[in-house]
Amino acid sequence: MNIKEEVKKVIAKALEVGEEEVVDGKNLYESIGVDSTEMVEVCLALGKHFDTKIQANEVNKDSTPEDIVKIVEQKKEGN
Amino acid sequence: MKEKVAITGLGVVSPCGLKKETFWANLKKGESFIEEVKRFDSKNYPSHIAGQVSQLDYYTHLSKRLTKKIDIFSHMALVSSEQAIVDSQMNLDDIDKERVGVFMGNALGGWLFAETELRDMYIEGRDGISPYMASAWFPAAPQGQITIYYGFKGYSKTTVSDKASSALALWYGAKTIKEKKNDYVLAGGMEAPITPYALLSANCRGDLSKNNSRPKEAYKPYDLYRDGLVLAEGSGTVVLESQAQARTRKVPIYGYIEGIGLSSDGYHYARYRPTPENLEYAIEECLKDAGWQKEDVDYICLDAESTEMGDYLETQALKNVFGSKIKDIALSAPKSMYGNLLGAQTALDLITTLLSMQNSTVLPTINYSMQDPYCDLDYTPNKPVEKEINKALIVSRGRGGINIVLAVEKEVR
Repeated sequence: MNIKEEVKKVIAKALEVGEEEVVDGKNLYESIGVDSTEMVEVCLALGKHFDTKIQANEVNKDSTPEDIVKIVEQKKEGN
Repeated sequence: MKEKVAITGLGVVSPCGLKKETFWANLKKGESFIEEVKRFDSKNYPSHIAGQVSQLDYYTHLSKRLTKKIDIFSHMALVSSEQAIVDSQMNLDDIDKERVGVFMGNALGGWLFAETELRDMYIEGRDGISPYMASAWFPAAPQGQITIYYGFKGYSKTTVSDKASSALALWYGAKTIKEKKNDYVLAGGMEAPITPYALLSANCRGDLSKNNSRPKEAYKPYDLYRDGLVLAEGSGTVVLESQAQARTRKVPIYGYIEGIGLSSDGYHYARYRPTPENLEYAIEECLKDAGWQKEDVDYICLDAESTEMGDYLETQALKNVFGSKIKDIALSAPKSMYGNLLGAQTALDLITTLLSMQNSTVLPTINYSMQDPYCDLDYTPNKPVEKEINKALIVSRGRGGINIVLAVEKEVR
């Protein structure tokens, strides 16, 4: 599984939505109407899955799956 | 002519049914729905019996995405609200959502969610607590969730006044219809006291029945051997709108909220004044507000705290206000069958009263076997009685003496 698929799976599981609802190229607000508390849950879930810390100002409702992949890769390289 | 506030939709989540039809059918049996607490081990609690809601997940229309973010008290409120909206035939695509208000009452807030999250925070630190905690626990959360779910943006409030919370919500909501601030109002209440901390806290009130070995016989208001109320969880919601609007829409009207009487004992933060004059004042004010004579009242849905002092004061107040006429008025406490929902109780009392009007039946006060010489009225013991009910009062008392009485009239055409 590539990182983008992992990211989409983690988001879908955290918010109890279908993986197909997290759409490539669309930000999380456009695709699944994510709210601010859900974004905190998403950041916590991503951080736990990828064993890093992801802050709410790094990944937010305007982020696409591709944006999130970039953040995750930068974090992993930083480690 | 004054604007009449019509009730056009009912929604119920209760220990004896999650729809008005089941609720009514079960109440007519005159049986108890009180059981030992199932959600957690509470055997060390002085009172560990309750009226509990089952099958909420089966009846829910909500997604897992939403239910994981909210406490059960919001969940129950959303389910009863959906029922009320469907029952009132509100067309959500064809109404001005800026003019739909939500008025809900509760006494405790959402502890089931809060308790576990606070525990996790203290054990695991900051990352242990769910971000949803911020919006799940507080008393106004159900009002917020209902308005968000449906996109309602009208004038709305949450009321907190112990057992009288939803009485206040119903009246406040009705007032905004009278004053034309809203076209529709969802009003009622929800309470979820069957959690480890909330039940412990409620046990400290000192007014819960400790008859744990016989749960079904425990809630016995006005009986000589009463020893307190039994808690219950649930939610009741009604749809309010003007009579003119309801008639234009050609939807069935259950009845009208015609008046309110309010007073405070001003005596003690938790106890009632040991004399009934403040409750009497609220009853008199309610009759005045509705423009009714004492002999107009057919039925009174009782507060039924089931404590020595609470039932005595209520009985004395009724005797003092109505005099010899009280013998012609049917009295009962249907909540003796399913428990006391604290801040949500008046919403269910309103729904039982409206269904009683519709079915010309006075629901009973169950578990009544021995008369208390100080509570010597006819409380409709144990079995329902057929009676035409056109005008009714609902008595609601919060701890410390928050007295609210509502006047409800049947639609007669």
